[in-house]
Amino acid sequence: MSADIRRRLIGWEGLLLVFLVVVLGFNMATNPRYLEIGNQVNLFTLGIEKSIVILVMAFVIMTGEIDLSVASMMGLAAAVVAALFEQGVPMEIAVLVALAVGLGFGLINGFFVAIVGIPSLAVTLAGYIGFRGLARLLVEDRSVGSFPDWFTALGQDGLLGPITGPMLLYLVMAILAVTIMHFTGFGRSTIVIGNSVSVARFSGVRVARVKIAIFAASGLIAALAGVLIAARLGAVRASTADGFELDIITVVLLGGVSIFGGSGTMIGVLLSSILVLNLRNGLVIAGITGNTQTGIIGLLLILSVLVPNLVGAGRERFRRRAADRAAPPPGTSGEGVSVRPSGG
Amino acid sequence: MAGPAATLEPSSSHERLPGAPVLEMRDIARAFGSTQALDGVSLSLFPGEIHALLGENGAGKSTLIKIMTGVQQPDRGEMRIDGRPVRVSSSQDGQRLGVAAIYQEPMIFPDLSVAENIFIGHRDRGVRVDHGKTQREAEAVLARLGVSLDVGEPARGLTLAQQQTVEIAKAISLKVRVLIMDEPTASLSAHEVRQLFRIVAALKAEGVAILFISHRMEEVFEIADRVTILRDGRWISTSPRGELTPAAAIRGMVGREVVELFKRERTAPGAVRLAVRDLHKEGVFSGVSFEVRAGEVLGFAGLVGARRTDVGLALFGVAPAERGSVELDGAPISVRSPQEATRLGIAYSTEDRRQLGLVMPLSITANITLPSLERYLGAFGLVRRSAERETANSFRDRLRIRAPSVETPAAALSGGNQQKVVLSKWLETKPKVLILDEPTRGIDVGAKVEVHQLIDELAAQGMAIIMISSDLPEVLAMSDRILVMREGRQVAIIDHADASQERVLGAAMGQGGDLLADEPGVDLIAGTAAAATLDLLASGEVDPELLLRDPAAPPADGDRA
Amino acid sequence: MDALLRRFRPEQLRELILLLVIVGMVVFFATQIDQYLAARPVNRITTGLAITAVVAVGQVLVVLTRNIDLSVGSSVGLVAYVVGTLLTRWTEMPPLVAVGLSVGIGVLLGAINGLLVAYGRVPSIIATLGTLALYRVVLVEFSGAKTVTTADLPDWLNDIPSANVASFEGYDLRVMVAVALVAVIIGQLMLRYLSFGRRLYAIGSNPDAARVSGLPARRDVFLAFTLCGALAGLAGFMFLVRFGNITVTAAQGLELQVVAAVVVGGVAIAGGSGSMVGAFMGVLLIEILQQSLLRWAEISEFVKDAILGLLILLAVATDTVVLGRLRERWVRIRRRDQEERLAAAPGEAADVR
Repeated sequence: MSADIRRRLIGWEGLLLVFLVVVLGFNMATNPRYLEIGNQVNLFTLGIEKSIVILVMAFVIMTGEIDLSVASMMGLAAAVVAALFEQGVPMEIAVLVALAVGLGFGLINGFFVAIVGIPSLAVTLAGYIGFRGLARLLVEDRSVGSFPDWFTALGQDGLLGPITGPMLLYLVMAILAVTIMHFTGFGRSTIVIGNSVSVARFSGVRVARVKIAIFAASGLIAALAGVLIAARLGAVRASTADGFELDIITVVLLGGVSIFGGSGTMIGVLLSSILVLNLRNGLVIAGITGNTQTGIIGLLLILSVLVPNLVGAGRERFRRRAADRAAPPPGTSGEGVSVRPSGG
Repeated sequence: MAGPAATLEPSSSHERLPGAPVLEMRDIARAFGSTQALDGVSLSLFPGEIHALLGENGAGKSTLIKIMTGVQQPDRGEMRIDGRPVRVSSSQDGQRLGVAAIYQEPMIFPDLSVAENIFIGHRDRGVRVDHGKTQREAEAVLARLGVSLDVGEPARGLTLAQQQTVEIAKAISLKVRVLIMDEPTASLSAHEVRQLFRIVAALKAEGVAILFISHRMEEVFEIADRVTILRDGRWISTSPRGELTPAAAIRGMVGREVVELFKRERTAPGAVRLAVRDLHKEGVFSGVSFEVRAGEVLGFAGLVGARRTDVGLALFGVAPAERGSVELDGAPISVRSPQEATRLGIAYSTEDRRQLGLVMPLSITANITLPSLERYLGAFGLVRRSAERETANSFRDRLRIRAPSVETPAAALSGGNQQKVVLSKWLETKPKVLILDEPTRGIDVGAKVEVHQLIDELAAQGMAIIMISSDLPEVLAMSDRILVMREGRQVAIIDHADASQERVLGAAMGQGGDLLADEPGVDLIAGTAAAATLDLLASGEVDPELLLRDPAAPPADGDRA
Repeated sequence: MDALLRRFRPEQLRELILLLVIVGMVVFFATQIDQYLAARPVNRITTGLAITAVVAVGQVLVVLTRNIDLSVGSSVGLVAYVVGTLLTRWTEMPPLVAVGLSVGIGVLLGAINGLLVAYGRVPSIIATLGTLALYRVVLVEFSGAKTVTTADLPDWLNDIPSANVASFEGYDLRVMVAVALVAVIIGQLMLRYLSFGRRLYAIGSNPDAARVSGLPARRDVFLAFTLCGALAGLAGFMFLVRFGNITVTAAQGLELQVVAAVVVGGVAIAGGSGSMVGAFMGVLLIEILQQSLLRWAEISEFVKDAILGLLILLAVATDTVVLGRLRERWVRIRRRDQEERLAAAPGEAADVR
């Protein structure tokens, strides 16, 4: 796969790098201290939960599926923590319950997709709505806060200099994600499934098992991210992490993972993750606010699928035309030939 | 080998038919890569004629149909309708010109009504749908075919035969003048075939020209007015039915010079590896019983629709059989999934490299180790890349896979080299039984010889090999014994010493008895499992163990595969 | 069961069951809630479902082709805001122009989706997730974070919500509800009696066959999205009429309500089957359930979305598992009946060789 990585680095990943340099250059021009550690750490802290979920979403999309429910799961996990805390349950237990909820619903998603055979789009659309609904049921229209100090410190305080615990966790998880995707049997199976479920079946890959594992991981890690966002913000509302799925899916697709599965690299996803963070920051510098940023992300999402499609279609047309030139079809045009009804 | 019994140029035979041809194909040629699929084929169809097209798999029939319907373009030659040259560049063009085809697998919209299925493709029916009128017209069209269907009901519930009828109705509602029927009877019951023939007769009476493709000799000789034979992409003969016999037709289809690409040294096979008894899958295949010994190549011959691949898939656990027993090295086994098969030592190399065989964007290495990946995992499930590469390299050397490196993606390889990667992938699972489905389809002659050499080597090493192949010379050259299937039934097992192209094809087409009647010394009546036993007796190389078992008997014990 | 399946197709049976569920639900709540069937609460529920129903009609067209349009909420919000703002500035604008403008903007938004999906080959879920964000941003940019308020709108507009087409002992048929019913009926007629409508079924039913049969699949998918946009535009106008006060978050989340209704109403998410009437029943079920739960003291009002999610999952799982079985059964019954008929007809049997 190293050859694959090398080949792609000069392709899509190369393009991402160029974009990144442009964005960084722009940001540096407006803020000379932009690249300083402190600033970059701040930047990362703001998007750390999304970044974590992006890692697992890459696996989901790599198999050719999608999980629309991650942001709602983040909200639900945060709500579970908040609601249990309100009831006087120790925070540690609350966190564990939230993670269990994530894992459980992830398994359910995986079951419906891999065993029952419902399109993941439909299954996770239900989760998208339902999990958010459960969150609303738990915290209603309140804002739950005043969590224990150790909990908020987990999300906010530097652990290693300015680097926070979640950031360290992310670093470890990013390395793990690259390793699993590109250097383990599980990752190999994931990529094979995304390329062709039939080849995978014929080659003895346990397709259902891999898919269920990935959806379960998606639920669990989204729940973890939900807990982390609760810790960082120090308060939870029913709308926590609302709309994050857009960013998460966009980053994965922008990173070069095909929406149909089977192609792309984790490196590309990491690059696009950094790119989008810096882009958002650059937009802030340029005075473009949150909601508009979301729109730009939406545009990016469409373009990251549309552009490869159009390029592919163009290439295909070119190839066909070339083939036609090579072998000119004989005979004159069929126009003008009357089609008479058959007799009888 | 005798030449075709009756050879008539299309032009000379046309005097016997009224009027001018509605469709003429003149000197059509088409190549795919280095394979010449069609080379100078001419054919004319007259109104009200049923014209049968005969040829082995790969003779060029499908390509000819695709060119007629505008799905593919010829490299050379022209197509004329009513004597005027036309260019058909899409299926819509074909439709407009009155040329339509129906296939074995009909294209039906299950959620639309029967009537709508018939008329949905019509562009001239306006924006409004008058369901009453549509249904009346649908009934009228079906009545022309002598069929009555509940036209208002969704097409979901139709049988395959009924779906086909709907397709035919669709075609004639589009005022079709030339109807191409590609193996329309392959999945139909006897009664349904009767029904279909009545419909075909009705169309004939209306003056529609019908090109009828079937592997069932008796059907061809029942309804065809004229028969055209293709072989290896070339036109061989066009004869009125009365001037042709089934035996002559088969000779025409196989009458090529046999160039033995590879000469196998057959050695006495070892112990029985795989014993299959009375394998049955409802509506797919039944009564399949055979044994393969260590070091033996058992060829599976048959025509399209003979269900040979389905037997392979059943043994490999992709689509398990419903009844029957399978024993591996004497122990009963029941394979429910490819994982199990692989674990037990059964490997299946697919005919469809692109869809089922290889992950095209992945490297040669990743493809080769995929089924045995577990053996390449080290600590924490990490893939041991160097071990993997070593294996891939050793296969590259051994099978002479031509690629810049083992990191090259499979997509970048030629067909022959891709096939070698598929073989490597399954050899790496170290199988006891290797099922090869069309191992040399679509690869060049050089690679073909290499694959044959490899098969020979593997057999010599004691592997039991089942080789499903539509390439008759290949089957004859490579097999120790040849199992012939026809429409889901095992019709013969022929020892290689007694095998000839005519004999194998005859059995595959259900003409074993007729054909062989005029060949002295052979008393095979194909069509029953008993024939296989008879055949073995006649061959003189009788395997007593096999004779002790009645292939038709129910499985001995409860182990059902 | 067999007798039922002889009378009804599985899809019809499903709609019948849906109807029974709705009736059962109404009966249940009528026993639980005082004055449940009184004129005022009934009027409120019918008025409430009008907007969802109009958007659902458009969504059905899209879903039938095996696609989805998630951008409808943003489209409704955008149209409501833009037209509302224009009306506050140009109060003389004739009502018909206002409606035409709403539909026109909707057509544009829908056409963008259609272009992306049909001609750009972007999966509809991705394309419309993107435009969901994009259209909302256009709204934000356009508004400059200001809101449209009822006070600034012309009087004729503010009068529409209470306008009746007919009234019977306090039970009103409001104009908005009438519009929704007309949309559903026209939609149903279109699906049934226009070749375009039939082609939508064909495309979703068997895309390969659609291509081989030479159906203009791309154009039809494009049109379906465009029509969906047009209806979202109309719904946007209705939204403006109904609420008057329009903020940048107007109609946020409406797409979920609509998709839920369509799926619960039996329109297959994999395309090819379903009807407008079914989708309308889906709207009805969800609206009644949500409104009734709000009034039913036993349960928190926040349960709304959780139930919506559960309903979608239930509906899709039922369609995959139960409807699949019903269809198999239906096919078996039909075949058996056919064979019996064949056996009964003496002339036919002789044909078997």
